Amino acid sequence: MSVRDFALPAHRLAWAKLLLAPLDDARFDALARELFAWQFSRVLPFRRLCQAHGVTPRTLTNFRDIPAMPQQVFKREKLFAHGARRPGAIYETSGTTTGRPGRQHLLAPDLYKFVALAGAQRAGLLDGRAELHFLTPSPQAAPHSSLSAMFGFWRGTFWVKHDGFDFTGLRERLTAAILDDQPIGLAGAAFAFVHLLEDWDSYAPLRLPRGSWVLETGGFKGRSREIPKAELYGNIARVLGVPDRAIWNEYGMSELSSQAYARGPHGRHAVPPWARVLVVDPKTNREVRVGQRGLVRWIDLANVDSVLAVQTLDLAERTAGGFRLSGRLPRTEARGCSLSADDLMPAEDRP
Amino acid sequence: MSAITTTRQRLELLARAYPRLFPHAGLPRLLRDQLGHPDALDRWVERSGIEVRARAPRQIYHVCAGNLAVSAITSLAQGLLLGARNVVKLPSDRDDATTRRDILRFIRSLPAPLRALVKAESVLDSNSFAASDVIVAFGTDAAMHSLRARTRWNQRFIAHGPAVSLLWLADPDRLTTRAARACATDVLTYDQLGCLSPQAIYLPRGAKIDPLGDKLALALESNWRKLAAKPPRPLAVTARIAEAREVAHALGHRVWLPPRKHFGWTLIHDPDPAFTASPLHGVIYLRAIASGQLETALAPVRGFISTVGVAGKLSSRLREAFLSLGVSRFCAAGRMQTPPLTWRHDGRATLGEMVTWVDAEPSA
Repeated sequence: MSVRDFALPAHRLAWAKLLLAPLDDARFDALARELFAWQFSRVLPFRRLCQAHGVTPRTLTNFRDIPAMPQQVFKREKLFAHGARRPGAIYETSGTTTGRPGRQHLLAPDLYKFVALAGAQRAGLLDGRAELHFLTPSPQAAPHSSLSAMFGFWRGTFWVKHDGFDFTGLRERLTAAILDDQPIGLAGAAFAFVHLLEDWDSYAPLRLPRGSWVLETGGFKGRSREIPKAELYGNIARVLGVPDRAIWNEYGMSELSSQAYARGPHGRHAVPPWARVLVVDPKTNREVRVGQRGLVRWIDLANVDSVLAVQTLDLAERTAGGFRLSGRLPRTEARGCSLSADDLMPAEDRP
Repeated sequence: MSAITTTRQRLELLARAYPRLFPHAGLPRLLRDQLGHPDALDRWVERSGIEVRARAPRQIYHVCAGNLAVSAITSLAQGLLLGARNVVKLPSDRDDATTRRDILRFIRSLPAPLRALVKAESVLDSNSFAASDVIVAFGTDAAMHSLRARTRWNQRFIAHGPAVSLLWLADPDRLTTRAARACATDVLTYDQLGCLSPQAIYLPRGAKIDPLGDKLALALESNWRKLAAKPPRPLAVTARIAEAREVAHALGHRVWLPPRKHFGWTLIHDPDPAFTASPLHGVIYLRAIASGQLETALAPVRGFISTVGVAGKLSSRLREAFLSLGVSRFCAAGRMQTPPLTWRHDGRATLGEMVTWVDAEPSA
């Protein structure tokens, strides 16, 4: 049983330091089981889910057997391990017309900040050289957006104002940076880049200084036309003058604290050591073999305030060293004349 | 190939080729019901004191949905009965291949004179579409919008958009094994993919849920075992089923699973009576409802409810309540998926809508 109290700032800090220490499978397993036991005793829906699978802290022998909470439950229940305490941050998925966005409640954003910075640094993004620009609203303007929060931790300039994207201002700033030979980091959701590319269609391409990078977070969901990843990356490379390998994908979600990063249009995602991604066959509830496709399941040791195991509907191929994301399971398949959840609900994604 | 010129000849061919789908006795009833007379296409018949004659469309364009073949087959059969040329836009490749295969098999097995009236297409051909007098379409809301936008003012557009169906258990504490099996038949037929497939079983509040669920679970398993061809369970399907089960577990709902947790069916008691869409493929929600709650619970699907299958007797008050929600068909449990040929799909006399009429008023 854990002697750690994740409500105490000192214990949270100590936990964060543990996450940064070398974590082999055995060490990861020990920490995962400790966090599991803590959340099992405090998050009722998680306890119910685990009990339905016959998994308790006493019976759990490996982190791979921790039942994973479907993302959908974040829309239906408050998954918060601190009882009646007031959350210090609430991040929401969209889905506002149903009145039921998914909600991630954090006692404090401290651990999220810690791993959002450490994860990006490990990936090689935050080396202190690039000047950062974000195609999202600021955290002040969008306090429930986990993406805006993460970019806020990274520090930079936000180019979504109350009346939309300020592409003119951004272009002026990038042009000045080119003259100063100042490397640039430009980050936003994929749909934001589609809008940027359309807006800059009539301008001459830029050539961002060496050391610059672009990061997109995936997802169109009706906010722009959808274009294939290779085409998106090709257009970004052409318009901003960065090589393919300088274009990154960040894979994260409001329900989690950690992120995975992939480089280039065909890159494999790398997960930080304090998280694991299992590619799971829903039929067996077990990991698929290397080369097979399944659903992405996260075990995130930084997700202390809700649940560490989250089941997504994201499809991936398991590779020797990780996974290759291949999109999201469509909400409905071939329903034709049968009314579906899609007809009753709007598309969801991360704000 | 002998020429076929009359409705009765076409009817004969169709009934002989597919006696179970289109029984000989049912087709004239359909014609009488929707055209007033079985021979209205072939000769002048009297109606309201004048002579009238039905005129069949020259060409009908059928846009099939990917979920199941039976709607498309019925629509095509109606077009053949009218003697129209029929262009069938098959479900796209990304849709369930079984549906596409079943429609093609139906076409291939038609008697030659009828088969000559059918052309199947994989992609929507603008010329065929434009040359058609009638467009019959099945599918999603988005598909209906897009097709309607392409339709000319003088083309008849018969849209069968998305819909849901429900089961109602009038006396759940006394549900017989036979009635439970009838409910299971409704749930499992066509893998629950059609608009006539129930997505929820409603019952009056106060019923004993656990024994009822046990009974239904037994019936579901029994029917599942009897299915000669088990529907496929690819990753996309198992993912949805698994998600529904895990969500229910986390929410503390009672869940009945098949032996060894196979993915054939799932029964979930959701204490919230408000309708939510099932992921289908055998996932059915049990929802108890207090008197007077029906309208609120079904508000999300008001106007989209096709069929209510009833086990037991439906009170007139409830029937009126369902009516006000836009329900277009009531039937006995176990019969939801097999409406009679005279059924008005979505409340519409489709065959009747396909034809136009010529009136011959008496000369002075």
